[in-house]
Amino acid sequence: MIGIFKSMYITFATMLRTPVTIEYPAKHRDVPQRDRAFPILLWDKEVDEPFCTGCHACERACPVECMTVTMKDNPLHADEKSTRRKIVDEFWIDYGRCMRCNICVEVCNFEAIAMNNTWAGHELSKFDRNDLVLDLQQLLSQHKQDKIDAWVAE
Amino acid sequence: MVQEHELEPETVDIGVNMGPQHPSTHGVFRMVLTIDGERVVDVEPHIGYMHRGAEKLSESMDYRAAIGFQDRTDYLAQFMNEQAYCMAVEELLELEVPERSEYIRVILCELNRVTSHLMFLGAFGIDLGYFGTSFTYGFRERERIQDIFEEVTGDRLMYAYFRPGGLAWDVPDNFVQMVRDVLPHTRQGLKDLDLLMTQNEIVAVRTKGIGAMSAEESINWGLSGPLLRAAGVDWDLRKDKPYSIYDRFDYDIPLGSHGDLFDRFLVRLEEARQSLCIVEQALDQLPDGPIMPEKMPRRLRGPEAEVYTAVEGARGEYGVYLVSKGGDKPYRLKMRSPSFCNLSALRDMTVGSYVADAVAILGSIDIVLGCVDR
Amino acid sequence: MLALTYDVGNIWLDSLLGVLALVALMTVSALMLIWLERKISARIQMRLGPMRVGPYGLLQTAADALKLIGKEDLRPKTANRWVFELAPFAVFVPTFAALVTIPFTRDWAIAFLDLGLFYVVAVTGLAFVGFLMAGWASDNKYALLGGMRAAAQLISYEVPMVVTLVAVAMVAGSLNLSEIVLFQNRIPLFVWQPLGFFIFIVAALAELERQPFDIPTAESEVVGGPFIEYSGIRWSMFFLASYTSLLIYSLLGSIVFLGGWEWPLGTEAGLWLQILLILVKTSLFIAFFMWVRFALVRLRIDQLMSYCWKVLIPLAFLQVFLNGLVLVYGWPDGFLLLTSGAGLALAMYIIYRAVDTEPRELRMVPARGGGSSAQAATVDATGSG
Repeated sequence: MIGIFKSMYITFATMLRTPVTIEYPAKHRDVPQRDRAFPILLWDKEVDEPFCTGCHACERACPVECMTVTMKDNPLHADEKSTRRKIVDEFWIDYGRCMRCNICVEVCNFEAIAMNNTWAGHELSKFDRNDLVLDLQQLLSQHKQDKIDAWVAE
Repeated sequence: MVQEHELEPETVDIGVNMGPQHPSTHGVFRMVLTIDGERVVDVEPHIGYMHRGAEKLSESMDYRAAIGFQDRTDYLAQFMNEQAYCMAVEELLELEVPERSEYIRVILCELNRVTSHLMFLGAFGIDLGYFGTSFTYGFRERERIQDIFEEVTGDRLMYAYFRPGGLAWDVPDNFVQMVRDVLPHTRQGLKDLDLLMTQNEIVAVRTKGIGAMSAEESINWGLSGPLLRAAGVDWDLRKDKPYSIYDRFDYDIPLGSHGDLFDRFLVRLEEARQSLCIVEQALDQLPDGPIMPEKMPRRLRGPEAEVYTAVEGARGEYGVYLVSKGGDKPYRLKMRSPSFCNLSALRDMTVGSYVADAVAILGSIDIVLGCVDR
Repeated sequence: MLALTYDVGNIWLDSLLGVLALVALMTVSALMLIWLERKISARIQMRLGPMRVGPYGLLQTAADALKLIGKEDLRPKTANRWVFELAPFAVFVPTFAALVTIPFTRDWAIAFLDLGLFYVVAVTGLAFVGFLMAGWASDNKYALLGGMRAAAQLISYEVPMVVTLVAVAMVAGSLNLSEIVLFQNRIPLFVWQPLGFFIFIVAALAELERQPFDIPTAESEVVGGPFIEYSGIRWSMFFLASYTSLLIYSLLGSIVFLGGWEWPLGTEAGLWLQILLILVKTSLFIAFFMWVRFALVRLRIDQLMSYCWKVLIPLAFLQVFLNGLVLVYGWPDGFLLLTSGAGLALAMYIIYRAVDTEPRELRMVPARGGGSSAQAATVDATGSG
């Protein structure tokens, strides 16, 4: 019977402690700076164009093949505003396939892609899985609006 | 005159299909029980519902990219799998892992062992019949450790943090302090679970003498990890085939004597405590320095060779067998998953017990279906 | 409820009002009990519990009930239609009928029966038929297992329950619940009959199918047992019945063993004090039942049966025997307390002995590093740095 009383005691003792849970959608715990949600593209504010040159490095390295990139000549380079000769034309990332392994960030030579580290990157419930395929503008919008706190991996 | 046997009602054994959608099969495991009343006459395990071809997929991509699949095999002890894989690649490529990386790997692996065992202790309580109490006790502390993992790696479950040669990036500056802050909480959680279950008479009648395996049987079935040690076999890869830097720490390896459910429970509880000891020692000794070797090749190209490395995972020996025919991809990658080998002994443990015991025995093996099916 | 104390004059109207009052009581109390259980479980598990609907989530169960009413009433194609659909009523009606005779205060009850105790026990004992029907008709093997377990468990634990209540009735000299309460206006019965009290609590836990005896509905084994194929309003009727029987057994326990609405030591209690007393005593039982649910694991079916037939029933008869001795020879009540207390100790001792409680020692094999670990580390650290 002693063990049963011990069980009763410990359940009573924990009843008096403060709860550890929070009301999630109403309150969010802070996500750490290194949090990896989903990859997004970064926006070069000085030149007003994406960092990405469309070099396909991430596309080749991606283990689950969730990315599609195309490249074009940079019009701003012709005007000599930008040093990038080529620039990304179209970019799709299928968040439904992405397994958030961070490899695209590591292989990128231009630090043009980063993992979203905000709550907005996690709460992505959609009714249609096709809505999870994000195009270039959607991928850039997060950083354009200064919503992310870019933590570029070493 | 009626014969006696004619008076006896005719009974039939019924087959009960437990799983793949059953709350206590720990994922998508299916066992077909043949039961006579409440007695289990036969059990037939069916696996493969979660087969994702991780081994084959790993063969089609380079050594770095395949790390992600290691997290997804045994998704409760991810760091150990990553370490086994990275050790295999390091041995193949003859990379020297820096001291600091080794220490961080050990700290994270041992914390990971604690989270895995906390998960087991909680889920085992549920299998025995707790209405979530043990589960939340375990998860409460598991979440705190996962917060550390998230701070370090950026993800709560699929870390992808170890790299062949070292780590993806260095730990944050307050890492040591964070871990030290969490250790008392974890000890408290283990103490709560201890108080809740160890001496409880009902737990005792449900676990003592149930599903017992002798040391000889355990070895014959190829069990490893806590199951083997609960049967009293002194075999822990950390001690017997020291890998990484495990030969630098002082700790005890708990051994059971009966090999039943209760011993498995106790062994895991004590192992979690010993892991915390290792973490404390490693934190004391954590050196500064680089995290990746200095001459790290940009593309990992292996020579023609075969390597097998194994770590003492939370469930047993997790091994990676790697065959390379040159190039940046493995020719063959085989994972020796402890869950799969331990699960093979299910029939021997279960037959003859009750339906309720079958559930508890399956829980005590602590299978992870991602690890069984890969 | 006040209508119950006045004579309306028309017997049909009177009974209609009584039934309505009971239905209201059942519904409200079940809603509150579910909320309470969720809150208690949450606090034991250091969670918050329902917080969103209403203040502190008070309306959460009402919202759930609305959802359940709106759900489709599913029936498996191979189920036996009539048995399947009638099973919830077969569980629900006995609990409802048992509530009729339970007095809430000295003057408040739907019906004061002279055989009240007998009636309550007889009627609640019928509930297993519903579980068996549900388990059999669902055409599901889990449900079948659960239904069989329920039948075995409920019938078995009916026996010690009845025998302890007989022991109480012997001492009180009546089967009328009001008179049993009146008998305890000085000292409640649990003081004189701790063994009977203990057996009552255990048997009530088993009758309620709560941990450690939730074997018929075991979530991790038979996934809800007889309820597995039910959904929507039929499922919620099972739920309503189970929480109403929680209320009934708590009320019965507080009336029979804790002295119901009577203040101990013979003080006359007013109406409001009576209500408060029975509320507090019932709440004690309810809180205990809920607390136990989250502190203990489930027994196995064979252990459950042997515990009932080998431990509880002999001890219950021992209680009856002791009461008989006291009644026949006129020995003082103190003798009853002593012997019954000794019986309780015996019960605890049996549990202690039957279970292998010997603490197991793990063999610790030390794994020690080859050299001094700290030294090796510093050497390596300087070497790499």
